[in-house]
Amino acid sequence: MELLLIGVSHHTAPVDLRERVDFSKRGVAPALAALAEQPGPAEAVVLTTCNRAEIYAACEDPAGTAADLAGFMSRFHEVPDEELAPHLYTRTGPEVARHLFRVAAGLDSLMVGEPQIFGQVKDAYAIASGERRTGTLLNKLFTTSFAVGKRVRAETGLGEGAVSVSYGAVSLARKIFGQLQDRAVLVVGAGEMAELTATHLQAQQVRTITVTSRTLARAEALARQVDGTAVDWSRLGDQLLEADIVVTATGAASPIIDGDTVARAMHTRRNRPLFIIDLGLPRDVAVDAGELEQVFLYNIDDLRALVDENLTRRREQTAHAEAMVAEEVETFVRWLRSRGAIPTMVALRRRFEEVRRAELKRLESKLNSLPPEARARVDEVTRLLVQKLLLTPTERLKSVGDEEMVAQYVEVVTRLFDLADTPEDGEAGSRRPPSRRKTPVTS
Amino acid sequence: MTILLILLYGAAGVAYAVYFARRSAAAGRFATTGLAAAALIHTFDIGMRTMEVGHLPFVGAPAAVSAFVWLLAVAYLYTEVTTDERAMGVFIVPLLVALQAVSAFSSRVVEPAPMLDNLWFAVHVSSLLFAYAAFALACVVGITYVLLFRELKSKQLGFFAARLPSLRVLDAMNGRAVWVGWLFLTAGLAVGAVWLAQLQPDSADPRVRAMSFFDPKISVVILSWLIYSFELYARRVIGWSGKRAAWLSALGFAIVLLNLGPVGYFLTESHNF
Repeated sequence: MELLLIGVSHHTAPVDLRERVDFSKRGVAPALAALAEQPGPAEAVVLTTCNRAEIYAACEDPAGTAADLAGFMSRFHEVPDEELAPHLYTRTGPEVARHLFRVAAGLDSLMVGEPQIFGQVKDAYAIASGERRTGTLLNKLFTTSFAVGKRVRAETGLGEGAVSVSYGAVSLARKIFGQLQDRAVLVVGAGEMAELTATHLQAQQVRTITVTSRTLARAEALARQVDGTAVDWSRLGDQLLEADIVVTATGAASPIIDGDTVARAMHTRRNRPLFIIDLGLPRDVAVDAGELEQVFLYNIDDLRALVDENLTRRREQTAHAEAMVAEEVETFVRWLRSRGAIPTMVALRRRFEEVRRAELKRLESKLNSLPPEARARVDEVTRLLVQKLLLTPTERLKSVGDEEMVAQYVEVVTRLFDLADTPEDGEAGSRRPPSRRKTPVTS
Repeated sequence: MTILLILLYGAAGVAYAVYFARRSAAAGRFATTGLAAAALIHTFDIGMRTMEVGHLPFVGAPAAVSAFVWLLAVAYLYTEVTTDERAMGVFIVPLLVALQAVSAFSSRVVEPAPMLDNLWFAVHVSSLLFAYAAFALACVVGITYVLLFRELKSKQLGFFAARLPSLRVLDAMNGRAVWVGWLFLTAGLAVGAVWLAQLQPDSADPRVRAMSFFDPKISVVILSWLIYSFELYARRVIGWSGKRAAWLSALGFAIVLLNLGPVGYFLTESHNF
């Protein structure tokens, strides 16, 4: 059994193609069911996000299965083969592990270190294992990838710090106010930046969002979008008394909120903290407002500077994370190689079992004279004997990490016990799975 | 025993520092476990002494300081468990180590004056010590508030922003700790005053006779009571929360430390038991 990966991502395909091969449109479970009809893959996991559509599989014949799966993707999504093929990438063996580990760690993401992908990988695995489409190989591969993702996040801070201006504003708000549930938000202006930030704040379930704009109709439109209320422009001053977070993004040529207004408001608010996010260019809020004690005034340049700093930090952490991934791939490969001995071990076990059965058969007439309990006991003792004799060699073979050594051991064992002429060469268990939907566990 | 306690508190302190610098979860767990173990052994130590002398071992400045360390450790552990915030440990535990060391190296055996062997004394001292522990927490929380506040104001988010809870949480913690501390301080002082009123008319002890508003220990404690009362008032009425409240609680605790340390050891003529 070998690992195989085929897919498209933002590295290889433009967004319109990615949209067309998005498995979530028709659901991942139906895709897995359709995959189960395919002859090649014995195990499969489908990972789909807005930036990638990938099939992870365990199969006997990677080259053939890769072609099958490419055909499957093209048929399933009704995208012509010749259109899809140039954007597909294929990985096999350890490279599959490296790829998935990088994905889970957020290293392969469009925005390096973004946290969502980790949950998406987990979901993909949960669905596939719920559909009983995973077995030893993919189970190990994915559970290891979770550990890698966790480790990279815990040890490198790769996922830390906001990397977009509007999200940066939200995380600042949380540093000031903690949970935002009971905070009131005032949005001044109804442009795109105002909308984006308001949406981010809405996702934090703030208590209220009030929108005001010179044109009331535009304020009302944005208010509808973010479940807020629109108020008339003339009430801006009153609203400053209520709000905890003020987002301004108007196209005004000169500041619409001056320092004195804020100072008066702060007095009435009895110094309750006020976080002002000035996204306007030129600025909407006079700079001296930021000098008031409990006023936290951030303009778009301040936010950009924060975001840039976070981006630089993430880049610095990337090398560290890559090293971690490499280390984990090595460990995984060692495990993978140790599995190279499994067919031999299965054959050896079968050989021993044959000998045991043959001996019991030879002694059948003598055994028949014994009472049934004694016969059962003989059967049990011989079985335990075989098991115990095989225990140490099995453990030893499993712990060999070096591919060449595994090959040598396999060679020696095969010759010593004359396993080569066994009718089935030991892979029977995995070559002909008893059921397509459930993958046999060979170890 | 005292050396072991210093070592344990020290180890927990180092672990909190490692946790704060690297944010490693393992170091955090180790720190909490270490501190809990230290507090537990400290509890045992105090229990043993109580059994030995037949009353709470608060007599004499070293014993009182050690009891204060124990209370602060317990109060801090309580806040850590309830808020799930470990970041403050790196500020609190060094204080524990330092005070415990002061207590250990200035240790003297004190034969308690017979007049201290009663309930008034136990209530008076334990509520004051508890108040001081709460003020210590408030002070540390206040300092971290100021550190985070500066980062947010200067728009240079970095070390503290990544590690501390939000300003609002810190401010609320500070307010609550000061409030609890103030309640115990008031209660402790009131009990002390009532007790003194009973003792003073017919006591020949020079220390009892020296108890007045002009004794340094008493005037300093009243000064700290005034500061904390003002902080509470300013918070409610003037809207002095956040940075100003944080500074006030730092100032208040500096005065408390003054009282626990130099004043208690050298200057007072009334409380040198």
